[in-house]
Amino acid sequence: MSVYILPVLFVTLFVYCTFKKINTYDHFVKGAKGAIKLVVDIFPFIAAILIAVALLRVSGITSFLANLLSPFFNALGIPTELVELVLLRPFTGSGSYGILENIFATYGADSYISRCACVIMGCSETIFYVATVYISQTKVKKLLYAIPVALVCSLVGTILACLICKVM
Amino acid sequence: MMLSSILVLLVTNPSAVLAEMLSASASALELCIQLCAVYCVWLGIIELVEASGLGEKLAKLLRPLIKKIFRVESQETQKLIAMNISANMLGLGNASTPMGIKAMQALDDGSGKANFAMIMLIVVNATSIQLLPTTVIGLRASAGSANPADIIFPTLIVTFLTTVLGIVLVFTLDKLLRKKKKGGAT
Repeated sequence: MSVYILPVLFVTLFVYCTFKKINTYDHFVKGAKGAIKLVVDIFPFIAAILIAVALLRVSGITSFLANLLSPFFNALGIPTELVELVLLRPFTGSGSYGILENIFATYGADSYISRCACVIMGCSETIFYVATVYISQTKVKKLLYAIPVALVCSLVGTILACLICKVM
Repeated sequence: MMLSSILVLLVTNPSAVLAEMLSASASALELCIQLCAVYCVWLGIIELVEASGLGEKLAKLLRPLIKKIFRVESQETQKLIAMNISANMLGLGNASTPMGIKAMQALDDGSGKANFAMIMLIVVNATSIQLLPTTVIGLRASAGSANPADIIFPTLIVTFLTTVLGIVLVFTLDKLLRKKKKGGAT
């Protein structure tokens, strides 16, 4: 089903544009031009966060934290197997997809752990990455309570995910 | 964060420090090239959506809601936020980023502090209302799941609840902080 969604949306858009007598090619090119500049602008911020995450992983701090925090997460109903995912999810999108694939391989794609992991991925975002990239082109230096609130919501989402996967 | 990691590595594995940093930076470059390709397609599509007037229509649909939640008056900004949120709903995280950046620039008041609407935008993006977790379903299918799409409903429920929670929390904190400021001034 889901494979049809995007193509159908695109076809609708192109047909609509033709119907509205808009020069599709010119407008597409005009929009696409902005991509290079945007990527050049956000590259240093992405590099900094990826370097920080890589150092955290290789230094063993993440797995140390995962061991340290697992009693706390267990008390909230989050299995130990998911702690690494929960810890790294706010930092890296591609990294957490890597962990997700690991979970599938280790526990099987239809296991409780894997289904929890899927729901966690769906209801959370790479918070630090999004915050960094979004404010990178503004003058903002202080995000006030944005990050704490986002993290609390993610944690609640994770707890809910582990609950809901037990019954659904 | 970087400092503590390097300190640990200094003891355990000093030769890994520079190698890891360089390889992470290389993967950042790789990611940026991928992103550039993704943005090319999506920014092109978005330009079409804008030019055809569909952006206007979508924004009109979401506008009352956005006005209430984000408290922004500018129609241009409302439209950017509307497009950012609708891309997120379709599970197109990467497509929503350019709009999110633009919306942030429009919201920036130059004070160096994030304002209410900016915080709200980050929180709503972080809890990410997802109607279709397309990437996760794809990965799960290739891992040999019998019914890869059976996580859609649990995801929907959780993502909806966390988004509502996020919005409520931002409103509450904003109110509390303002009260505190008032109290401090008098």
